[in-house]
Amino acid sequence: MDFFIKLFTDPVGFYNQHELLIAQIGINAILAISIFVTFYSGQLTLANAGFMAIGAYTTVIMSLYLPTPLPLNILVGVVLAGAIGFLVGLPVLRLRGVFLAIATIGFVEALRLGVILNVPITGEGQGLTNPSADPLGGIVPILISVPILTYLVWRLTHTRLGQAWAAIREDELAASSNGINVPAYKMIAFVISALVAGYAGALETHINFFVDPTEYSVTRTIQILTFAVVGGTTNVIGPIVGALFLTALPEIVRQFAAYRDVVNGVILILVIIFRPQGIVGRGGLAIIAPRWWTRWRTRERAAAAH
Amino acid sequence: MSALLQLTNVNRSFGGVHAVDDVSLEIEQGTIFGLIGPNGAGKTTLVNLVTGYIRPQSGSIQLVAGEGRAGAVELARRPPYAVAGMGIARTFQTLRLYRNLTAIENVLAGMHLRRRDDTLQQLIPIAPFLKEDRRRWQRARELLGRVGLDPDTFGNRQAATLSYGDQRRLEVARALALNPHLLILDEPAAGMNPAEKDRVRALIQQLNQDGLTVLLIDHDMRLVMGVCRHIAVLNFGRKIADGPPATVSQDPAVITAYLGSQAQKTAVHVPGSEEMDVAATSTAVSAEPTSPLLDVRDLQVSYGAIQAVRGVSFGVAKGEIVALIGANGAGKSTILNSLSGVLRPHSGTARFGDLDLTAAPPDQIVRQGLVQVPEGREILARLTVRENLELGAWARRNGRSAHRDIEGLMEQFPILGQRRDLPAGQLSGGEQQILAIARGLLAQPKLLLLDEPSLGLAPQMVDTVFDVIKKIHNDGVTILLVEQNALRALEIADRAYVVETGRILLSGTGAALRRNPEVQKAYLGG
Repeated sequence: MDFFIKLFTDPVGFYNQHELLIAQIGINAILAISIFVTFYSGQLTLANAGFMAIGAYTTVIMSLYLPTPLPLNILVGVVLAGAIGFLVGLPVLRLRGVFLAIATIGFVEALRLGVILNVPITGEGQGLTNPSADPLGGIVPILISVPILTYLVWRLTHTRLGQAWAAIREDELAASSNGINVPAYKMIAFVISALVAGYAGALETHINFFVDPTEYSVTRTIQILTFAVVGGTTNVIGPIVGALFLTALPEIVRQFAAYRDVVNGVILILVIIFRPQGIVGRGGLAIIAPRWWTRWRTRERAAAAH
Repeated sequence: MSALLQLTNVNRSFGGVHAVDDVSLEIEQGTIFGLIGPNGAGKTTLVNLVTGYIRPQSGSIQLVAGEGRAGAVELARRPPYAVAGMGIARTFQTLRLYRNLTAIENVLAGMHLRRRDDTLQQLIPIAPFLKEDRRRWQRARELLGRVGLDPDTFGNRQAATLSYGDQRRLEVARALALNPHLLILDEPAAGMNPAEKDRVRALIQQLNQDGLTVLLIDHDMRLVMGVCRHIAVLNFGRKIADGPPATVSQDPAVITAYLGSQAQKTAVHVPGSEEMDVAATSTAVSAEPTSPLLDVRDLQVSYGAIQAVRGVSFGVAKGEIVALIGANGAGKSTILNSLSGVLRPHSGTARFGDLDLTAAPPDQIVRQGLVQVPEGREILARLTVRENLELGAWARRNGRSAHRDIEGLMEQFPILGQRRDLPAGQLSGGEQQILAIARGLLAQPKLLLLDEPSLGLAPQMVDTVFDVIKKIHNDGVTILLVEQNALRALEIADRAYVVETGRILLSGTGAALRRNPEVQKAYLGG
């Protein structure tokens, strides 16, 4: 409760007190946008954490060894994430559904366990100290980026490109009969998703003093997936609301301290049962009662009548 | 007239089956070309070969003219989107709409190749950049209008919520958005009633008059014969006849292969022209039953905001065959689904003996003897005939009696007995329907609900399925039948109800309704 009271009575104090949390919400919102793009084109890809790692490590390594300015370092990190996204996409995007998900998880783990933990320049799993870290200054680009990216992706879903994605998501066979080059448009979505994830990774290292390889594991990817599932994927606002909700939740239920994860999990389950389309999603604010629930209610009522 | 599309010695087999066996065809520019043949003749395979979904093992498929080129183009090894780029649009036998998109969005996606790629401009929504967007929107609305969908009423509705016939029309509009040279319609009238079929026919003729070449695949001989200028007939992957409709319909090979000897009458008959005899086996009961086995009172069912069934009352007495007939989207299947517990009505009562069908769980409804054979058959394609039947008996406690019953059914329906170890997916549509009915029988029904048993079947197979229904009825099972093939249903029904837009319009004995001119008007669109 304190959390909300403070938010409304003392916004400035709230901002100062929770600056890191707000920055984290921003980063997670960008990651949510990243996974939204692939979701929107009907692909269940879970490679986001891997592309984050590429963006993050590239930026930090360049800061460590090269005299280049930070924006350039970030740009290189983003472009590299996109390029690797393209290369990974070539074989992987032939797969569909859960097989695609598994293959992309494979990529995340191969990158972390195979490359990051073994190559000297990445600190071999010891992590890297970020020389250009700036927790307070770093929040500014994040807060600027979130609305811009949200806006761009929202517009994108209304263009020819976005309509082709929607068609592919709904029915690949029909899409190709309409002349949509399905593999090419899937690749575009995958690469855009990789670029955005790389950008989130690069921005995130900027608010941390230390790059920790354990941050970029499958756990992180699953966390990003829950943003999309809890928020809903019918439009870009959904995953962002999911990111906001799930990032702030542990802070909100702080007084339960020891039971924080339990409360977290219970809320997730409730959302999935009663709001399967996500918090944001078609159907306004309707809460959908699952069939077993109504059946159970009917039976209860019948029993009461007897 | 010059050729538009030319197929030369095209071959394609799956495993040992020659789906398309050395077929050569020539489709002329500006014609309406009909491709017919019994189920499994290879028609859809041929369409998939032309549109790039399947690659031929040998032979060539050439687009002779089109898209600003003079020379012929080989289509055989091109992917589907490239074939679409050549100006060949298609619809699918099983509807493939973008179900969660609106009607207009469906058509906009169809315009993909016919619009400039202005994605980057669109990111900045200032007026001049959006002008083209509005024009495209307008064009999408026009296309909807062209196929007979009012853009104001249907434009912003989700494709999945449209009625079946409207979904078919929307698919045509989406294909037209490509501005095609050749439009391939794969069974556009499947599952439609005669009035709707007439509308499809008028639409095809209109499109053709506007200069479009059409390749039409359908079962309905009346439609194909009436609209096509040239017809090719396939059977077991081979072309057995090719020529103008008058020649093809007289071809003895075609008549035996496709129509069967007895079915010809049904296939090409004109509603109302045949003799109106009362089926000898039916006991004519005209009045509503006094103590019905199934009693439905004022049933109302809605899907969200759309009310599909608006207060329907009827009854079925023990030993009857009762038919619910009416156009697609009238609410017939919804009534059945709410009786079997798949859907829940929001008001009204439905009693089956002592059981309240509006509240009882589906498994209990089945155990009490009310069994539904669903529309579209819903058999498990990868399991064998025998395994499908075993699943039908799954709810039973007594394994030995189930086994005996399965053997009995195999004997009763030799079509199943001979194919007991084949995957059910390899059965023809009619055989699958019989399997679905047999599976329903294993649950030992007192009342069997049959939902569109003749849907998508060749005329010959429809006869077989109706014979099976009569046989089951003679064995003492009460039957509630939903059919869009009204005349056939009325032939075997003791009583029938005509359903229109969720209400019962008329009721009476099967024989009386067949003679009723109002039925023909309401249902056949005469």
